Amino acid sequence: MKIRTDIVKMYKEIHGWVGIVSGLALFIAFFAGAITMFEEPLQRWASPPSALAGPTPLDRTDELVEKVLAQHPEASRGYEIHLATGPEQPARLTWTVRGQGEHPALQTYYAALEQDGSLQVVEQGPSPVADFVDILHQQVGLPFEHEISMPIMGAIALLYAIAIVSGIFVLLPSLVKDLFALRVGKNAKRMWLDLHNVLGLLSLPFHLVMALTAVVFAFHDQFYDAKTLAFKPDSGRPAMEASAAPPARQDRLPVLELVERIDDQTPGFTLRSLTFMQSPEGEEVVRVSGTDPRYGLRAPTYGMAEADPFTGQLTELDYMPGMQDGWGATVTSFFALHFGNFGGPGIRWTYFLLGIAGAFLFYTGNLLWVESRRKRERRGGAVQQTRATKVLGALTVGVPLGCIAGIAVTVAAAKPLGLHASEAIHSAIYYAVFLAFTGFALMRGAPRAAMELLPVTAAAVLLIPLATLVTLGDHPAQIVWVDIMAISAAGAFWLAWRKVARRAREGGRDSIWSIKPSGQAANGSVERVV
Amino acid sequence: MSEPLTSKNWFGKASAGLILGFALALGISGILYRSIDVGDDIFSLPAQFTMWAMGPIWAGILSFCFLFRSGVRAWLWLGGATLAVWLALFAMGVSA
Repeated sequence: MKIRTDIVKMYKEIHGWVGIVSGLALFIAFFAGAITMFEEPLQRWASPPSALAGPTPLDRTDELVEKVLAQHPEASRGYEIHLATGPEQPARLTWTVRGQGEHPALQTYYAALEQDGSLQVVEQGPSPVADFVDILHQQVGLPFEHEISMPIMGAIALLYAIAIVSGIFVLLPSLVKDLFALRVGKNAKRMWLDLHNVLGLLSLPFHLVMALTAVVFAFHDQFYDAKTLAFKPDSGRPAMEASAAPPARQDRLPVLELVERIDDQTPGFTLRSLTFMQSPEGEEVVRVSGTDPRYGLRAPTYGMAEADPFTGQLTELDYMPGMQDGWGATVTSFFALHFGNFGGPGIRWTYFLLGIAGAFLFYTGNLLWVESRRKRERRGGAVQQTRATKVLGALTVGVPLGCIAGIAVTVAAAKPLGLHASEAIHSAIYYAVFLAFTGFALMRGAPRAAMELLPVTAAAVLLIPLATLVTLGDHPAQIVWVDIMAISAAGAFWLAWRKVARRAREGGRDSIWSIKPSGQAANGSVERVV
Repeated sequence: MSEPLTSKNWFGKASAGLILGFALALGISGILYRSIDVGDDIFSLPAQFTMWAMGPIWAGILSFCFLFRSGVRAWLWLGGATLAVWLALFAMGVSA
């Protein structure tokens, strides 16, 4: 396809700059995001056996509710009944309250009945490590408050959109020639460029979805604020219409009865939890959450509806898979396309692979930027790499490996930490590893750091199965394929390490990967690059 | 023939894309909001759809604004488009 050469050249430069500014943050977002595809199994893998007496049988749920409300009246503002329990959700009943202070944390309480029927309440729940990885993903690895991180994430997402469009402009003219060519040979940069092109083009729809949804996720509040300001300056959220005759205060239906009535109205939908709460107008409602493999879901892992707790009648279907109207299904599809929750394990694995491929796409992009810059500098007469090229080369090694190793170590730590784990501890572990890797790479430079950090990364990933083995006594192994995945990833890093070591010894001495002192121009193979 | 396009004058073009792109996206979203008659609830499902429309419009304008020959042209064209969209909105009775 013909495109004016000045347009291609302009977009090529833009692609390079937006790429280098956003690439490393996008690597973190994509790597962590790929892992969140398995948020639920990971939480199950990481969650220690609870101190609770075991989930209360479903037919004693009402007794449990009664005792909780008698001893902890604050729970009446909203408590949740979990129909599915396991290590990742050890209690039949939980409730969450906001603590005191300027930035009040949420505290969840987990309740069960002991053998003798007395109430048992604990504060230690399932492992928070999967949540931590999710937040890392949402905030592109930034350790700031949500309100600060999200607009930065949004700016990264906008740059990412520009990178996609500019990348298409750059690739289109040579598309037919380049697309199915992966020239693995002496010319390493050509190979990286072919790989970058093929990854970028073949996963283009995925990247468009991610960029556009991420822009909305980031600026969601600002968009609504702007719309409210422009179109509805005097509106708050309008009150819902009051129902004809509000039900007289009476006891709601027993939980099992309620479940049965809701099940009857929702064939194909698997109920997971019921949340009893009050609507903003003070009416009693029950929020129903669950899954339906035939439809995309509004939340990452579930869809929801509201029902009347006195009759079991569904009252609000806006976010109910398969029962929402066209607008609801359309809006839900934007979320489902981002979350990859619409096709069962097959789609989750596909999204996982696309996410890892995306992370790799940004890594190759960074490599190409550093290599072209180095070549331009040398044409300009510089013999030594400039400081900026060196720093970017080092970050291209340190940030991705630091992110991978940091996630690996903090996930592995979930098992020995057991019930003492908290999001703050997981966060501290992650950032300690991440900053150590990044700092080390900056100190040592790209080639040495790659050689020294790759085996450390492999070892860090191996801590995951090691943690499983060491804690086998008090923490029976769950979801063993998490450990198997970690072992294969460690193998991949080990292979990469061997390759890098060979390249550093044998590759062109002016490459950023060379550990030889840079001298005169190296062999011609590197020269022939576009 | 005109001057070839260049990335050198990116700032003028990108700032127009960022600022006027947002104003345009908001305006177009508002026209959608008015024309599908979503009622008063800014969080109703159709209204949510019109909010979602802002993302692609804004990101699209920001990505393609580099095709303007200069920052001044970008500001003029996008400014004109923004004005037109918002006038249309007022004609549809945004403040009513």
